[in-house]
Amino acid sequence: MKIALEQNGFQVIQTRQGNENPSFDDRSAMANAQRGAVFVSIHVGSTGLPGTARVYVMSDLPSAPETNGLIAWDRAQAPFLPLSRRFGDMVQGFLAQRFKGSPLNSQAAAVRQLRTTAAPAIAVEIASVAVDDRNVLDRMAPGIADAIARGCSGFRPLYVVAAVNPGDRP
Amino acid sequence: MIPPVNPPMHPKWRAYLIGMLAIAVFIAALYVPVLRRRLHQAKDVPTVSEEQARRELTQTSPTNPNGPVTRARLFWSAGARDGSLMPVSIDLPLAMDPAPRGKQVLNTLLAGPIDAELRTLPPDAVLLAFYMLPDGTAIADFSEAMATSTPSGIQSEQMAVDSIAKTLEANVPQVKWLKILIHGQEVDTLAGHLDLTRTFLVNAKATPMPQSSAPIQKSQSTPSDVSNPLGAAVKGAPKAAAPGAAKPAGASQKLTPAATPGKLAPPAKNP
Repeated sequence: MKIALEQNGFQVIQTRQGNENPSFDDRSAMANAQRGAVFVSIHVGSTGLPGTARVYVMSDLPSAPETNGLIAWDRAQAPFLPLSRRFGDMVQGFLAQRFKGSPLNSQAAAVRQLRTTAAPAIAVEIASVAVDDRNVLDRMAPGIADAIARGCSGFRPLYVVAAVNPGDRP
Repeated sequence: MIPPVNPPMHPKWRAYLIGMLAIAVFIAALYVPVLRRRLHQAKDVPTVSEEQARRELTQTSPTNPNGPVTRARLFWSAGARDGSLMPVSIDLPLAMDPAPRGKQVLNTLLAGPIDAELRTLPPDAVLLAFYMLPDGTAIADFSEAMATSTPSGIQSEQMAVDSIAKTLEANVPQVKWLKILIHGQEVDTLAGHLDLTRTFLVNAKATPMPQSSAPIQKSQSTPSDVSNPLGAAVKGAPKAAAPGAAKPAGASQKLTPAATPGKLAPPAKNP
């Protein structure tokens, strides 16, 4: 997947390289330190129609304007929700073309990892660990990578990072 | 003295005896596979787990067993493996008060449908307590098994929460929000993915709680009621809309964040 994205001109930063298990906040901190980044969380679910993939975006978050000008860490995703939905729909569209039975649009869910991410963020869930043959999942990997890469490419022209004052963000 | 000698067995009786033994061995040979099969079947019968036994002990009996039977709607999996739910109507003698009524329907939901494949909640999970706050927030406190036995994944965890929320919406009109606790504590996620630090919108048009109710209306006492950490857990939880209640995305082609990103506040460090 990293290769597929890099071939499309994207820089890829992985939040884990091996068996280490960074916390939700550690992963969000890595993503939030980037500028103009999108965040993609990928995992294999326990249920679902085998051979399909679903994209989730964060469901609505309460808007709580901060008086001190800071974005609350716990609701960092809130300003990015429209962008995340647009990005999620694009990736889901490409996944639906590849994997029959996958939904046509992204779905909203209260995904913990996405809540603290200050960037367009999606979670891709592949179905499922319940398959008898692990090769079924392995064979899906190139298609998943291609769909995400195409989604990122399609989303890039729509993603305009708002101009901010120098020093406003790390 | 010469001891008396037993007279030799008559050949005819010896033949009878050998014949009887042979028949006994033959019958035993036929019966052993039957016994083995029964033993195997007995092994397959699920034993009552500690959590299940506890549920039976803490399960409250219907508040008004002789009262009017209400057609309750419970939401279990539709079986389509796409996370969709299907309402099932069951006649229950439901209480009128929202807290015991909520506890009744959630206990029935936990007991599961006839087809175990359509379960949305783990069979070992126990509803330890169910509270109603004056603002219409329902607090459902489940045992550890809810977190440890729910299959990990966004779809499965979402389905579990959806089935609870939809069942409450259909049967307890006073419930506006839902907060899920695990063993009396707020937890980060249900089984690794779904955020449980938030409250879930159940019914935006919920019936207001009756004014005569106590500030916190509890269901019947359970062991966990004694040390209810409700206040602290709920106050810190932000109110949020339920999954799927998303606002329509902006129509413009060029998208920018809704608010200009500023500095990020550091994550709150838990002591």
